[in-house]
Amino acid sequence: MHHALRRHAPFWLSIFAGLAIWEVAGRSTSAAFMVPFTTTLVRLWQLVVSGGFFTALLDSSELFLTGFVLAVAVGLPVGLLLARVRILRVGVEPYIMTLYATPMVALIPFILSMMGFGFAPKVLVVFLFAVFPVLYNTVEGARSIKPELIEVAKSFRSSEWALWREVMLPYTLPYTMTGVRQAIGRALVGMIAAEFFLSSTGLGQLIMIASQNFDTGGVFASILIIGLIGVGLMRLGLMLEQHFARWRQ
Amino acid sequence: MSETAVTIPVSVASARKPWRFTDSMIVPRVIVGIVILLIWEFAVRALAPAYVAKPTGVVLAIPKVLTDPVFLKATGETMASVAQGLGITLIFGTIIGVWMGRSLTFDRAIRHYINGFNAIPMIVVLPLFSLWFGYSGYTRFATIIFAAIFAIIMNVADGARSVPREYLEVSRSFRAGRLSVLLGIVLPASLPYILAGVRLAAGRALIGAVVAEFFLSIGGVGYYILYNSRSYHHNEAFVGVLLLAGFGVGFELLVNWSIRRFMPWYRRGDNS
Repeated sequence: MHHALRRHAPFWLSIFAGLAIWEVAGRSTSAAFMVPFTTTLVRLWQLVVSGGFFTALLDSSELFLTGFVLAVAVGLPVGLLLARVRILRVGVEPYIMTLYATPMVALIPFILSMMGFGFAPKVLVVFLFAVFPVLYNTVEGARSIKPELIEVAKSFRSSEWALWREVMLPYTLPYTMTGVRQAIGRALVGMIAAEFFLSSTGLGQLIMIASQNFDTGGVFASILIIGLIGVGLMRLGLMLEQHFARWRQ
Repeated sequence: MSETAVTIPVSVASARKPWRFTDSMIVPRVIVGIVILLIWEFAVRALAPAYVAKPTGVVLAIPKVLTDPVFLKATGETMASVAQGLGITLIFGTIIGVWMGRSLTFDRAIRHYINGFNAIPMIVVLPLFSLWFGYSGYTRFATIIFAAIFAIIMNVADGARSVPREYLEVSRSFRAGRLSVLLGIVLPASLPYILAGVRLAAGRALIGAVVAEFFLSIGGVGYYILYNSRSYHHNEAFVGVLLLAGFGVGFELLVNWSIRRFMPWYRRGDNS
C-alpha cells in the first residue's frame, strides 16, 4: 500500500500540476487563444451529448482500421516472402528503404487530383503511411537471421514449413511488431492528414469546423481526444511489440 | 576481445560470398529499379490521363524545375525552416533529455507529458497553431519544432539513463565536477542515442513542414507540390517529391554513416 502510493504519487502529482497550469493559463489569456481545462471538458461533453463526437469517432475508426489492416495484410506477407527469397530482398531493399524515408504526405495532392474525394483515396493515404514501416522492419528482421541457423536447419533436413515456423517467423516477427508499432503512429497521422486535405470527415473534420468557427474550446477538446487515442494506441503497439519480443530476452 | 575467438570461426563458416557492394547486390537492384520504372511508365500511358506523372515526364521536367527560381526559393524556404527548427529542437531537446535522464524527480514529473505529446499525431495541432501564430512561417516553424522535439527528448533521456554506472563511479572517485561529468561522460555516452533521435526528428520535421505548407498555403516545397498538382503539372510537382525523398534518405544515410564512422563501438540491437 505504502509502496504503491509512493510509486504512483509522482504521476498523479504531475498530472494535477499540469492540469492546474493549463487551467490558470487558460483563465489568464483570451478565450480566442486558449481555454482552460474545465471549459474544454464542458465543450467535450457538449460534443458527446450532441452525438457529433461519436459519428466522427466511428468515421475515423473505419478509415484507420481499413487502411491499417490493409497495410499489415500486405506488408507482413510481402516482407516474409522477401525474407526467404534473398535475391528478391536484395533487389527490393533500397526501394523500400527510400519509400520508408520519404514523407508520404507529399503524395496527398497527387492522390487528391487523381482519385478525388471518396473513401478509397483516404484509405490509400492511411495505407501508404502505414505499410512501409511494417515492410521495412520485417525485411530488417529477415536480414538479421543468421545464415548459420538456416544452414543448420537445412542440414537436419528441415522441411520448408518447419523452417518457416521455427526459424523465419520467430526471428522476423519481433521486428515486424516494431514496424506495426511505428505503423500505428503513422497511420494515425495519415488518417488526420486524409481527413484534413481530402474529403473532410471524422475527427479531422471536427477540429477543422471548430477552428473555422473560432471555437477554441472545440479545438482543444478534439486535440485532447485525439491525443488520448494516440496515447492509447501507442501503448497497445508497445504491448504488442513487447509480447512478441519476449523470447529474445 | 574474448569475443573475437568465438566470432571468427563462425564468420569463416558462413563466408560464402563477399557481403556488400559486389555485383550480386547491384545487379538485382538495378533490374528491380528498371522493372518498377517500366511498369510505372506503361501503366500511366495505358490507363491514366496525360497529366499524371510518369518517369519520362519527370526526367524531362527535372532540368526545368531545378532552374526555376520559384522552385529554388521554395526549397530554400522549407529547408531553412527545417534546419532552424531542428537546430533549436536539438539544443532544447538535449538539455531536457539529459536532465530527464539524470534526475529521477524531473523524469517522473514530465515523462508522461513527453510520451503523451509524442503520441499525438503532430498534424492535429495545426489548426491551433494557425490560431496562435497566424497563417505564416511562424506556424510552420512551431509545427516543425512540435513534430521533432519529443523524439529527441525521449532518445536523449534513454541515452543519458543508460550511461554505464562504472564511468560515473570512476569520475566521482576522481572528484570530477558536475559540468565535466556532463560534458565529458554523459553527453558522449549518449551521442548514439542523440543521433538516433535526430534521424527520427529530421523525418518528422520534414513531414511537419510539408503538412504546414499544405494547410497554410505558404511558400515552400510542400506548397510547390500542392500548387503544381492542382494545376495538373504532376511531372513538375513530382520533382518536389523526389527532392523530399532525397532529403529523407540522405539524412538517414548520413546518420547511419556517422554512427559507423565516429562511434564504431556502438552497435544497434544484435545485428552486427
